Amino acid sequence: MRKSIGYAGLILEVDLSEQHLRVRELPDDMCRGYLGGIGFNARIVYDQVPAGTDPLGPDNVLVFGVGAMVGSPFPTASRTEVSAKSPMTGLFGTSNSGMFFGIQLKNAGFDALVIKGQSPTPVYLLIEDGSVNILGAAEIWGQDSWAALDILKNKYPGAEAALIGPAGENRVRFACIENSYYDAWARTGLGAVMGAKKLKAIVVRGRQGLSPHRTDSFIEIAWKARQLIESSPFFQPFKSYGSMNAAMPYGSFKALNAHNFNRGCLPDWKENFARNKVEELTKGHIACQSCIIACAHWVEIREGPYQGLKMKDMEVTPTVSFGSGCGMSLEACVKAAEMGQRYGMDMVSAASVMAMAAEMFTRGTITAEELGYELNFGDDVAMLRLMDDIAHRRGLGDILAEGAKLAGQKIAGGEEYAMHIKGLEMPMIDPRGRFSTWSLGMLTNVRGGDHLRCRNPIENLRYNENKFAYQKERFGFDQKMYEALDMPDHLKKKAIDLEADTTDIAIMSRWAEDLINLFNALGVCIRPPVEHKIGPTILAEAFTAWTGMEMTAEELMCAAERIWNVMKLFNLREGEKTEDSRFPGRFYQEDGGAVKLDEQQITRVLRQYYQARGWEPDSGRPSPEKIKELGLD
Amino acid sequence: MNRLIIIDSNKCTGCGLCQMACSIHRNGQCEASLARILIYRDEKAGIFIPMTCRQCTDPPCAAACLMNVISKDYETGITIRNLEGCISCRVCQVACPFAASIFNYLQERVENCDQCGGDPQCVKYCPYGALKYTDLTDNMDLVRDAEAKRRLLP
Repeated sequence: MRKSIGYAGLILEVDLSEQHLRVRELPDDMCRGYLGGIGFNARIVYDQVPAGTDPLGPDNVLVFGVGAMVGSPFPTASRTEVSAKSPMTGLFGTSNSGMFFGIQLKNAGFDALVIKGQSPTPVYLLIEDGSVNILGAAEIWGQDSWAALDILKNKYPGAEAALIGPAGENRVRFACIENSYYDAWARTGLGAVMGAKKLKAIVVRGRQGLSPHRTDSFIEIAWKARQLIESSPFFQPFKSYGSMNAAMPYGSFKALNAHNFNRGCLPDWKENFARNKVEELTKGHIACQSCIIACAHWVEIREGPYQGLKMKDMEVTPTVSFGSGCGMSLEACVKAAEMGQRYGMDMVSAASVMAMAAEMFTRGTITAEELGYELNFGDDVAMLRLMDDIAHRRGLGDILAEGAKLAGQKIAGGEEYAMHIKGLEMPMIDPRGRFSTWSLGMLTNVRGGDHLRCRNPIENLRYNENKFAYQKERFGFDQKMYEALDMPDHLKKKAIDLEADTTDIAIMSRWAEDLINLFNALGVCIRPPVEHKIGPTILAEAFTAWTGMEMTAEELMCAAERIWNVMKLFNLREGEKTEDSRFPGRFYQEDGGAVKLDEQQITRVLRQYYQARGWEPDSGRPSPEKIKELGLD
Repeated sequence: MNRLIIIDSNKCTGCGLCQMACSIHRNGQCEASLARILIYRDEKAGIFIPMTCRQCTDPPCAAACLMNVISKDYETGITIRNLEGCISCRVCQVACPFAASIFNYLQERVENCDQCGGDPQCVKYCPYGALKYTDLTDNMDLVRDAEAKRRLLP
């Protein structure tokens, strides 16, 4: 068996139209320039998907890139990025997920998997220790993802699978790719891309094993990283409550999506979704590969209409999206999550179009006759029924399955209720209640309305006061936290003003985006305790010891910046415009219980962001100098 | 004084760091199937049960061994293998009721946990305290509890 240092060393290309397989060696310059994970994906999608390609046609390319440090005991190194041209946005579609798929793919011999073409009949892919087969999927096509997984896991014990459910098969635009039973590459509609290729599942099983270039020093660095993460003040809360931590402070700031962003928080939110209620339903923690936090919980519903439901759940984003966005009960949120997983649908987008439909119903834009039933906020049964209709494209569900943007265009008078940025539905954070690095990041995000590609590594959930609205957010920590933050000194001085106790939103956004890109390239998780404590310095040490490629912290950040620019260039080639970086109209016209957004101020901070990126401030395009500096000319 | 790795499967999150730790420290390679500890995973029930050598007083692997290379060190309580005489027939793997005899495909021989000479790395890496390295006499309750849970599970 081949011994691999850090990387598995191979890229697998599968052409489903030609039923053709090709394996190529992973070039060194690809590793140095793009690191892995999202980096490989960005380069491959940019190079292989021509401008104007139909996202659901055979020319779209679906790439699975495993993080460079996946397969090691580096804490939280488990993550794999999947990318393609998005059927939601028409721009760079990409999503990240952990668990055990990545380590299995790498142990089966491949750092990346590139899927092209379109199969005439449903197939699945079996990858085992260097052997690859395209097999008929008649037995599992049409099955929900859990039923299909049962069959596959029974057939291939110990294997992991990425697969789609009925939503992906039906090309629901926001269909996701399921990662085993409870996780997913959810956002930007990659499941629809996989469904259009008639690829039901990718089953991977491998035991090749990876070795560090320098075992002793890698073990030492990984242990140091673990101690750093454990020393973060965010560590214990995340260990105990997972991502649900953010739900309460955001509710109190009126910065949560409530009833399709009609207001910043539901009046009974605190009682119905408080920690103790969440605790009643949860027991035990569940981790991804090599994770010391284990933020996910095992949930069991013991009474009521959803009694007997058991699954991994209670992640903040879907819970708030269904609970607050659609007004559903906590128990029904778990049911919705189960349906989201079985059908293979992005829960943020699904909840957003469901809330949009409820608002349209409430305002009379659509009627009970068109829907087949009444759809009020807080009506669990009707909401779940609509979710089912969307997955199977029944009735009005067929139009809503196109996503908020297209559904808004198709339904007369519906456009103003579509809460999306660049075609991707916004998650639960309302910028009117708290404008921060996070909020700006939703506008600058290459994948559209989403909160996961830009978050201040020292995000402060305790405050939402805004002394210098739109320009700064409150820093809110002491000198020790400032000093411990792994950021180059000159940049840190510009980004954080200790005396004024402020963080500059534009500068921090740029840093946070690159940092998260670096995490997604290396396969490390972006959970707050990790993002807070793990910076480019220790990642450079770990990367060098793991792969044997000497890289400094600056070089890693430069690669991360290069990746971001490549994704942006892809978007620009597809016709993205500066005016697309805009919140939905509602945010400028209604206060949502907080304050209306000021469009001029946002344009100003966007310009500052473009400048911080070395882009042209008017057009928001990477400048020729920047392109040259990153070696992209 | 005999010490044992005691497993409380209720605390296991399934992160696999015990396997990573074992595999990298003992083989210089990161691969779960090389680890001398394994995790039985039932994802659909949310159950993860780590299993490793229980250092049986009268080990079935030793009784099964055709070459008589497995024996007990009664001072430490550890089941030891004289690998020079091992013919890799893997009968000991069949005999172990806990699936704790691991075939190391790099070395082409069967191994069991030897508690890393008194500093078991799996225990050190376990982030949730599902693994404990402890004195048996003081912790029989823990052992019984863990064992009872193991037996009661489907």
